[in-house]
Amino acid sequence: MFRIAVASGKGGTGKTCVASSLALVAGNVLAVDADVEEPNLAIVLGVEMRHLLEVTIPLPVPDVDKCIMCGQCAESCRFGAIALLGNKPPLVNSSLCNGCGACSIVCPAAAITESKRGIGEIGYGEKGTLKILEGRLRVGVNSAIPVIENTLDEAEKRDTLHIIDCPPGTSCPMVAAVGRSDFVVLVTEPTPFGLEDLSLALSVVHDLRIPAGIVVNRSDLSTADPGILCEKFGVEVLARLPFSKAIAKGYAAGISPVKVDSTWKVAMRKILSKATEAVR
Amino acid sequence: MRPREIVVVSGKGGTGKTSLASVLCVKASSKAVFADTDVDAPDLWILLKPEDKESFDFHGLEKAKIDPKRCVGCGKCFETCRFRAVRMNKGIALVNTTFCEGCGACTYVCPAECISMEKMQQGHYFMGETEYGPMWHALLNPGGENSGMLVSLIRKAAVRTAEERALPLVIIDGPPGVACPAISTLTGADMAVVVTEPSLSGWHDLERIGELCRRLGVSMKVVINKSDLAPDGAARISEKCRERGWHVLGTIPFRRKIVDAVSESRPPVDELSPEIDSIWENIFSSLNLV
Repeated sequence: MFRIAVASGKGGTGKTCVASSLALVAGNVLAVDADVEEPNLAIVLGVEMRHLLEVTIPLPVPDVDKCIMCGQCAESCRFGAIALLGNKPPLVNSSLCNGCGACSIVCPAAAITESKRGIGEIGYGEKGTLKILEGRLRVGVNSAIPVIENTLDEAEKRDTLHIIDCPPGTSCPMVAAVGRSDFVVLVTEPTPFGLEDLSLALSVVHDLRIPAGIVVNRSDLSTADPGILCEKFGVEVLARLPFSKAIAKGYAAGISPVKVDSTWKVAMRKILSKATEAVR
Repeated sequence: MRPREIVVVSGKGGTGKTSLASVLCVKASSKAVFADTDVDAPDLWILLKPEDKESFDFHGLEKAKIDPKRCVGCGKCFETCRFRAVRMNKGIALVNTTFCEGCGACTYVCPAECISMEKMQQGHYFMGETEYGPMWHALLNPGGENSGMLVSLIRKAAVRTAEERALPLVIIDGPPGVACPAISTLTGADMAVVVTEPSLSGWHDLERIGELCRRLGVSMKVVINKSDLAPDGAARISEKCRERGWHVLGTIPFRRKIVDAVSESRPPVDELSPEIDSIWENIFSSLNLV
């Protein structure tokens, strides 16, 4: 198993374009969509997804008959998800509960059992040798992490090359998505926004001690250059991909850049070989 | 009167949220406080160039801290943690603070009572003055957590500043996505301006943020950016928005000079004209401010 994560810091720099292109060029791969808030990889790969499994987290259920109304569950909950109103058994606000289980540990009457709350789903699809797993957070749910972790767990059951499309940003969802990978491809654009967010993303990847490389997308759109950042973090630019209206139009219609522009094919091969080299 | 909060979001990243938000800030000059709640990839400051007057530490929820000297290596905390934040290394439990949600469950099971919950600095936030008005912004530490809490803090601070200075508006540049920072940004806001693009992905993500706005009871308006990259796509999105009752404020074609302005670190005011003028008038008039 070899895992390449595609991440970016700034959104919309072309993560999904690069991830889909890498998957198509590599051939026999598992493409993993870990951008569970906005999963778009299946759209660009043109693969129909079917439901594989539901992602759930534990939800406490107080037993009215056993409850001695001591209030320790509400006191232990640091998320304010358990309320005690008058002399009644506790009420659980499921949207604030992250399923940590502290309340059932502290309950002296063992009155709290746990049911499950669905927070997302994992989908699976195939097209030839290309396989895809997609994590999808239910809209309205706060924490994306359990869906990301479950999707990566499911991916790990399949021993092959994984291309992981990660969420934007540099906070916990991004860390969870890149955290288990062997190599990270950071996609940026040559604007002040692109470089600012690239620098934040690089420090995350650096702290995780995962080797990384940079793809400068829409490289001719502006003149900002990641050179200084490359030096600072000891990474190299793996590819510079110029802006093309044909690629943008293809992407709009759900067609991966690698099918539109042959320079992408060459670039993706280079990225794949650099990634394996870097890890060796 | 309570200041009105207008939030610019997108679902999908990179549709042009920050560029558009920066120009709304210029248009609202001397009427508004500005805030950037994309706290793990904040960029609005690059265009508005605030001169920071005050800076504050952000502490999220407390995190578990294990005293390695007293740890007996029983592994109970490891078994109890549902967020994979504890690992065992050579008979000692270690906490990965990025994954620690601060629930404290481990503290109840530790027989050596060697786990404490401690405050941790997880980022900074700032109050600055721009050419166009006051601005609150933040920076979460790379890999940081509790971004939703930081978002709420920034929003409350911005509203307070607006009240103190008797300004009627707060304009917020929001995060991508639909999870905790987006939920914290949208909850209780007066209007969401969703910037989308005419791609299949753009529409897919617009539907999800639309569903979130519906659940949170936030009224939503749409701007279709880069409309000429797929003219039929833009027309289709307009039509679908109409079906769902989402007001389309306007469409803006892709212009290279917009990118040029942003590359020069300035709000693309002229470059987004004339479309932005009617978009702004529409937003402003629908707030019914006298």
